[in-house]
Amino acid sequence: MTLAADILIAAAAPFLIASFVAFYRVFKGPTMPDRVIGFNVVGSNVVVLIALLAGAFDEPGALDIAIVYALLNFLLSIAISKFTVERGGVL
Amino acid sequence: MVEVASKRVLVPVSESPSLRNTVAYVVQRAVEGFQDGGRPTEVHFVYPVSQRVTFGEESAESIAAGELLDIVSVWAEEDVGENADAVEVKTSLIRSRDYLFSHRDYANALEVYARSNDIGLVVFDPEYYPAGTTPLLPTLEAEVRRAGVEVEEAPVQRERRGPVLVRRGNVGQFLALFGLSFLFYVLLSGSVEPTGVVTGAITGAVVAVSLWRVSLTAPIHPVRTARRLWRMLFYVPYLLWEIFKANLEIAYIVLHPDLPIDPQVVDFDAAVWSPLAATALANSITLTPGTLTVDITPQHFTIHTLTRKARTGLMAGGLERGVRFVFYGLAASRTASPAERLEQRGEDS
Amino acid sequence: MALREIAVLLFATGGSFFALSAAVGLVRLPDLYTRAHSASKGDTLGGLLTLTAVAIAFGGGLSTFKTFLLIVFMFLTNPTAVHAIVRAAHDQGIEPWTAEEEP
Repeated sequence: MTLAADILIAAAAPFLIASFVAFYRVFKGPTMPDRVIGFNVVGSNVVVLIALLAGAFDEPGALDIAIVYALLNFLLSIAISKFTVERGGVL
Repeated sequence: MVEVASKRVLVPVSESPSLRNTVAYVVQRAVEGFQDGGRPTEVHFVYPVSQRVTFGEESAESIAAGELLDIVSVWAEEDVGENADAVEVKTSLIRSRDYLFSHRDYANALEVYARSNDIGLVVFDPEYYPAGTTPLLPTLEAEVRRAGVEVEEAPVQRERRGPVLVRRGNVGQFLALFGLSFLFYVLLSGSVEPTGVVTGAITGAVVAVSLWRVSLTAPIHPVRTARRLWRMLFYVPYLLWEIFKANLEIAYIVLHPDLPIDPQVVDFDAAVWSPLAATALANSITLTPGTLTVDITPQHFTIHTLTRKARTGLMAGGLERGVRFVFYGLAASRTASPAERLEQRGEDS
Repeated sequence: MALREIAVLLFATGGSFFALSAAVGLVRLPDLYTRAHSASKGDTLGGLLTLTAVAIAFGGGLSTFKTFLLIVFMFLTNPTAVHAIVRAAHDQGIEPWTAEEEP
């Protein structure tokens, strides 16, 4: 393990903590958009987390996972907000 | 089908591309209904004004609404033609004492009008969007129907559809999309072996064939795009610096024991035109000190600001200048800031 | 400690700090809109800095480029997603919280 890898692993910890803290908002609400924002934050933290681990263990393949996860996270937020606005018809 | 004959019909109007055809349809139906004899059909064209109107004071909206109603009555007379005794056209502004906000408010306003004039049928323009707000027509129709008034949607051709999914494209767009997908594929696979390149080309072709008329909204101007990208190089560092400052500020506020915030929503009219430029500006605003874009209609931005300082920063218009610089060049970036524009307008009126 | 490691350390620390402050803001701030401020800005810069650290750690090559791609992507989508949510909330008629006492 190089020093850089150690630093990256150490940096993963705050992101993990931040995700759990954001989960508080997901559970607590009180409104639907609050939960979605919370989940968006969790999602982007997880993306960074995956990228950090990819860097620490020198696994370039994990970066692809991070990219796809980021795409999904974006799609999720957009889909939910669209859905809640246009409840009359899902577009 | 509901008989229009010897009845009164209510038609809510708003600026819409299919309004002309709706008027023609309603008048034609009324004329046909009269051929059986009986009393003339009353057609009421109404415009619910969404703002509280105080006496002796005309809002911009109610003036525009009045003009629209005048146009509609001219159209209706055109369509009535020789059958003048068959149809009686009336126009009316529904002035509400309350703000009309949701589809329920609009339905209420229409219902009250229908009741007081003994109207049994409401014909909707298929593209009726009151005052540019969000109420969706199916919901609005359902609300009116629930109130016990019959509802019909005029089966007219839309002259021009609003946001269309599939547009006309050209070869340039196709090639651009193919190139982008291909490049992306090769980058992700990270190899230039023949197998990778061939599968990449196939994937790129599939993407381009299925989406080339969907995902790019305008023809591509290579030179202009290149110039914009070049100017973007200067804007991005400025934006990054602004973002960095913004985050320090937010971190300070969040970690401060007293939570010193004074949130407020402000509106301003931005001097950008294209959707792309508006998107860029909206995202920049969201990312920088204490401002968050809430809603955009073309040129009109609704922005939530976290602190007083953020509001002055926003109105000074540094970001707007930056975006104008990227999209329209250096000359366009020297423009009055939103605050100055607001002052000018104040002096004019 | 090489220059590269110092850079990694600096960026990773900065990123973690902003990500944590964003999470704290998400919990402490009083309403949806103010929380959205915290989520959009803090998370974007936090992710940006940390991913830059990762890119530096990879030390050039394809992986660095992919990380860079991820940075650009987050930079574009994060504010857009938050904006979409906030607009949805605004359209639903959720009122923004304001300071009680007028200054």
